[in-house]
Amino acid sequence: MTTSAIAPLTSRRAVGPLDVVRLDLRLRRRATIGYAVGLALYALAVVAIYPSFKGDTSIDRLLQSNPKLYAAFGVSGSLTSPVGWLNANVFNNFLPVVTVILAIGYGAWCIAGQDESGTLAPIAVLPISRRGVVVQKVVALAVQLLPTLVLTTICVLVGRTFQLNVGIGNLVAASVACWLLGLVFGALALVVGAASGSRGLAIGVSSAVAAAAYLISSFAASIDWIRPMRLVSPFYWAAGSNPLGDGIQPGAMTALIITAAALVGVAVTAANRADLH
Amino acid sequence: MTDPIVTRDLTKTFGRRRGVVGVDLAVNEGEVFGFLGPNGAGKSTTIRLLLGLYRPTAGAVSVLGHRPVVDGVTVRARIGYLPGELTLHPRLTGREHIDWFTRARGLASNVYRDELVERFGAELDQPARALSKGNRQKIGIVLAFMHRPELLILDEPTSGLDPLLQDEFVRLLRETAAEGRTVFLSSHELDEVQRVADRVAIIRDGRIVVVDSVAALRRSAPRTVEFEFARAVDSAAIAALDGVRVLDDDGHRVRLGLSGPLAPLLRLVAELEPVDMTARAADLDELFLTYYRTDYRTDQPDAEVSA
Repeated sequence: MTTSAIAPLTSRRAVGPLDVVRLDLRLRRRATIGYAVGLALYALAVVAIYPSFKGDTSIDRLLQSNPKLYAAFGVSGSLTSPVGWLNANVFNNFLPVVTVILAIGYGAWCIAGQDESGTLAPIAVLPISRRGVVVQKVVALAVQLLPTLVLTTICVLVGRTFQLNVGIGNLVAASVACWLLGLVFGALALVVGAASGSRGLAIGVSSAVAAAAYLISSFAASIDWIRPMRLVSPFYWAAGSNPLGDGIQPGAMTALIITAAALVGVAVTAANRADLH
Repeated sequence: MTDPIVTRDLTKTFGRRRGVVGVDLAVNEGEVFGFLGPNGAGKSTTIRLLLGLYRPTAGAVSVLGHRPVVDGVTVRARIGYLPGELTLHPRLTGREHIDWFTRARGLASNVYRDELVERFGAELDQPARALSKGNRQKIGIVLAFMHRPELLILDEPTSGLDPLLQDEFVRLLRETAAEGRTVFLSSHELDEVQRVADRVAIIRDGRIVVVDSVAALRRSAPRTVEFEFARAVDSAAIAALDGVRVLDDDGHRVRLGLSGPLAPLLRLVAELEPVDMTARAADLDELFLTYYRTDYRTDQPDAEVSA
């Protein structure tokens, strides 16, 4: 009896390039829809109340009286201009923060969390390489961040009927920057998770780095000694550099893409070395 | 042609924690190979090394002629794996799991798969969180066998199955082996293994203590001898005999496991004036307990367990 006589009943030799992506998106469907609907409703509310604040110059004066306090919440510059209003309420805080939370949640769960619960091994024993698994997880990460960003962008566009005029190009640039920011921190959580095997550690480390990056970006405008550090903060690249007002920032985008790509590379190496259960 | 599974001096440690040490195995094509050991002996660690889930600390593994860590994709296309405790996604149904794995493996035909579903009565419409352990295990059997792999690696496969399905599973293993496919069957239960396995390896504390055919092991297995006495006796003198182990002693009734010569025992017992004696043929259970026992090392100093 030779081995070739017993051919397995399969038509291909490896797991398809989107099979793991499909599975994970299915498993994350509820969270993805929940985040997207929640943030879209929030964005609608923000644009709908803009007309009531538009003419209220006392808010801008308040802001100038204590810029450091407001900076902590991602608010700087004028609050009553369309760009200032949207940055202060959506693009400098809620949207990037929620995107990053979503991304870290998935990044920590998709390798370390699934390994801890025992659902990763049945996939890892299929004909798929570790690199294949990681790449499909990153694709699933990228895809599941889109509904939140696209729906929010659409809701902000609705704001044009509420006198909230921002350029579509800038709006897309700000959303894409947010998406890349999510990829960076999702990939960071993936790296820590693949290297440590611990979902909790992945969430903890990534959240701490994200919080530091957020604070640096927020305070860069108002605190002198923090300002130089903004150049290493992904939050600054994505939001603090004001893509909504100034349009696409090639340098910042490149920095986000390179960082995300580098982290994915490290994640592949970490996954290759990992002992899975 | 290389054997489906060959390991040489295979060692895996987790920091300072022992996994397995110096494991040498050679599993032949078309055989059912039993892999026995108590819980925590290193069975699952060995299996994860075979599947490429773990990287060896030292030594070599070859599965279907490839190294699992290097050529994992090639190797795993030809393997079916059933973990002892299969974790399914709680919200997905059995059907969703089976459909996903069917597509992921690129199954060319669903006929055999559906036959297995039918045969084991796998519950397909309930979400996994509502399934009992046995019902999850049935899904696992389908997932492991549906692509007719050349090599099946089964880790405590019948845990949770009722006796009827355990019989059905044994038939499935025999059919699989009859087709020339190979089965690596790990278990902590002797019964599960001795019914189907051609050869067995016993692992204890991370080391292989014996590899032999079931028939040969049976020949060397201790016999159980039981004596009944009219008055209470002290079994200490009996226990001191070579190759005798006291299994049970209530003063009047003494049950012994005998792996040494019979005559000295009979001479000694005759003086104690027994009123009854029963002897049972070779008992594999007793043999395995011998290997499992923690004092095995001191009992048999010449056995191949020392480092």
